[in-house]
Amino acid sequence: MLRTYEGIRFFSDKQMVILDIGSAYTKFGYAGEPTPRGIIRTEIKCPDTKKLRRIYDYKDTEDLYQLLVEFLHALFFKHVVISPKDARIVILESLLVPTQFRDTLAKVLFRHFEIGSLMLLSTHLATISTLGVNSALVLDIGYKEATLIPIYEGEPILKAWQALPLGGQVVHELVKCFIFNWCFINSYFFNRYLMKSLREIYPNVDITEKLVEDIKVRTCFVTTLERSAKLGTADAPKPPPAIKYPGVKSINIPGEIREEAFEVLWERDNDNLSIPTMILNAIIQCPIDTRRTLAENILLIGGTAMAKGFASRLKSELLTLVKSSHYSEKLKIQTFMFHTAPSKPNYTAWLGGAIFGSVDLPLRCLTKENYLKSDRVPDWVSLIDNQRDESTVCET
Amino acid sequence: MSYLNQPDYVCYVCNCGSLKPISKIYFCRHCSKIRCGYCVCQEVDSHYCPNCMENLPSSEVRLKKNKCSNCFKCPCCFQTLSTRAGHVPLRVVPADGEDSKDVKTTPKKVYYLSCSLCRWTSRDAGIPDQSMATGGWPEQENPHTSRINTLIDYHKILASIEKQQSERKKFRPKHPYMQIAMFRITSAMVRKHIGHPAKPTNESTDQPSPAVASTEVEELPTDIFTKPVEITKITTLEQRLQQPDVQTENVNELRPQHRQLLVRRSQRCRVCEHNLCKPDFCSQSAKFKIQLAAFYHVPEVRIVTCEPLRPGKSSELLLKFCNPTQHQTQVVLLPLDTPMTPILTLVDEKEEVKQDNAQQGSESPNLLPSIVRQVPVVEETKPIKITANADVVLPQNCLILPRRDDAAEYDDTGDTHNFQDDPKFVIWRKGNKAVIKLHVTPHENIEENNNQPVVIGFVMQYRYVNTITTLEHKAPQKLDLKVKLYLTIGNIVGSA
Ligand SMILES: [Zn+2]
Ligand SMILES: [Zn+2]
Ligand SMILES: [Zn+2]
Ligand SMILES: [Zn+2]
Repeated sequence: MLRTYEGIRFFSDKQMVILDIGSAYTKFGYAGEPTPRGIIRTEIKCPDTKKLRRIYDYKDTEDLYQLLVEFLHALFFKHVVISPKDARIVILESLLVPTQFRDTLAKVLFRHFEIGSLMLLSTHLATISTLGVNSALVLDIGYKEATLIPIYEGEPILKAWQALPLGGQVVHELVKCFIFNWCFINSYFFNRYLMKSLREIYPNVDITEKLVEDIKVRTCFVTTLERSAKLGTADAPKPPPAIKYPGVKSINIPGEIREEAFEVLWERDNDNLSIPTMILNAIIQCPIDTRRTLAENILLIGGTAMAKGFASRLKSELLTLVKSSHYSEKLKIQTFMFHTAPSKPNYTAWLGGAIFGSVDLPLRCLTKENYLKSDRVPDWVSLIDNQRDESTVCET
Repeated sequence: MSYLNQPDYVCYVCNCGSLKPISKIYFCRHCSKIRCGYCVCQEVDSHYCPNCMENLPSSEVRLKKNKCSNCFKCPCCFQTLSTRAGHVPLRVVPADGEDSKDVKTTPKKVYYLSCSLCRWTSRDAGIPDQSMATGGWPEQENPHTSRINTLIDYHKILASIEKQQSERKKFRPKHPYMQIAMFRITSAMVRKHIGHPAKPTNESTDQPSPAVASTEVEELPTDIFTKPVEITKITTLEQRLQQPDVQTENVNELRPQHRQLLVRRSQRCRVCEHNLCKPDFCSQSAKFKIQLAAFYHVPEVRIVTCEPLRPGKSSELLLKFCNPTQHQTQVVLLPLDTPMTPILTLVDEKEEVKQDNAQQGSESPNLLPSIVRQVPVVEETKPIKITANADVVLPQNCLILPRRDDAAEYDDTGDTHNFQDDPKFVIWRKGNKAVIKLHVTPHENIEENNNQPVVIGFVMQYRYVNTITTLEHKAPQKLDLKVKLYLTIGNIVGSA
């Protein structure tokens, strides 16, 4: 298609844009490139109130629509730097993305920005293309949640998917709790801290989400299973050194916060679930002949998986858990093996999109014409169950 | 133009539903409609470096990954780095890693990068000085690039196999459009392709070595429980994300990054695809090649004064109207519920182009024949977020405003116009401007202390002479256009 006003332009030569709009950070860049062009916070200044707002904290569909318009405008013109009109876009989406979100996102992209085509890729599925294997157990630990889908011989075993509200956000809450109350009502730490809270010591320090994140990223780590078991008991190990934290008024981060902030990810909830049980429960729900392959092809992605000591803790938790009475009868697995993608875990899913986006897959793209005709995005989860008729197929 | 920074007291309602001050709206002369930043099509017009102001053509931008090759930003505080010159004895390192004894020669001029804000220097980071001021700074490449390229090639082959299959065998994936099916097909092709003895030669090139999982994972450093940490040596997340493929924790390993280019945008009417605003190509220039700001086409309304407002009581409101065009206009104020369709009043020729009712529903009269256009994508209009809470008595008369005459601006001899103005309505007049008096009555239910501003609204109908048509050898059209206005006139003082 060409437009004649002011010269001839073809839209097909535009590079494919890859976007992974995470609940905390958005990864963006172009197909075929090994690194994202940038990683920015998924937030935008509200034009009316001038306050920063997270996109995922939307009130309703109308609010989300306006937030996405503002956010994507900044993304296209300040960061990705591309005219969105007629652009070809790949969006990585989580298994748990609400229909409201994906429908609104598609509407904003097609109706407001008039993009040319959209390819929606599942985060977990796209990720395995970074390995060159076709079976992997992909565990994504992001900001709001941890999600898992096993993929065997290129096919996702959907009945075995797992999701828990564990990720960066709960760690932030815990750090905040430490700072505000100093004693956290939690099995491990209850009654341990009867000293003053940081808030009492430093009443003038503004404890923002950003500061909490900074404390987490720069000072906290995932401790070993061995030490973790002793935390809160009589022979608790000596905490790691405290860190003097700079700022307008410097604050002191006690070693306890550093060591225990991530403990919330390993603690069993009321249903006895945690990050390691997600992996074991998923494997149990997979056919017997796939289990070993999956246990020996674990891939961890998402920003929270980058926490220091995360993978080694997960490994020891898994090895201990399989020996427990709950799992030892059901699972005959002794070894767990982990993959390393050619990327950092917080953008591995983006890289998967960048690899797929560089491949010509016209059948998988929802074109503007087809979107405008049907006015909706096909839902991949229900497609697996063959529940949808095929009338909305966007063929080329 | 200081009033540009004030809160928006007078807002025009764009056709998309946005409320904007006149300084932020466009007027498409081709559609004779108001447009704004929300409802126009924005495009990247040109790229430039905000530091050295160099303009780059888009082909080069793509090649340089949207970065300026000359300018660097500080990896610590993200300010632009400056190049500093220094004299150091030139050290020659022996080539084959033999004896590493330095050989001193005469001092040579060398260059290093330095941040004037946080004092970071390339020397602190251990980056060798350069002999040229213009660069030669080591570029960091993602260490996984070749592996990723192999994976990309592999997936491309898979896709082409699949394409061939679908063409040859009339084979169709069951669910050709979803990613699930894609992987299913892809993996099926992998199996088929690898297991095919007919093509053993291709195998090695097609299939990259699959990643190997390991039982070993990165362990927590053992000294983490005892080693004191200095926080200033640990990078922040923001610093890490500047170089996503490295994300180093160690401040000394941060490397300067090329400065990202900025863009100038042009705005295009989504309905007729004409440019509404196009900046000059030269990045230093603040001029525009095309600029169709509403400021030059639509009468501007300003609030002069307003008497103290009391609920249920009538107050006087003085508004100043200004005609920015080269043609005389007449303004009529109508109630908010007036239908917004434009009326073509006059065509200065026998060949009358009557605007029929059928066209009223569509976006605009199509003034552009024979242009291949895409079907405009329709976006729903936004609901208007403001409601009027005061009644306003609108005059029956129309207000005539003469054309703008820049020469007359400085002429104090008085107006030569002779309008039959109603002195109760028009209380002042000069050149293309006039002040009118209206009576507003805030609703009874507004209370003083809840800080709710008093808002009035009306439809302004103005005569517009469209000269665009003369380019198409037609006579200028005279249109009576309408725009909705909401004015925030003040707060309630005292009760009724
Ligand atoms: Zn608008
Ligand atoms: Zn530059
Ligand atoms: Zn600096
Ligand atoms: Zn137009």
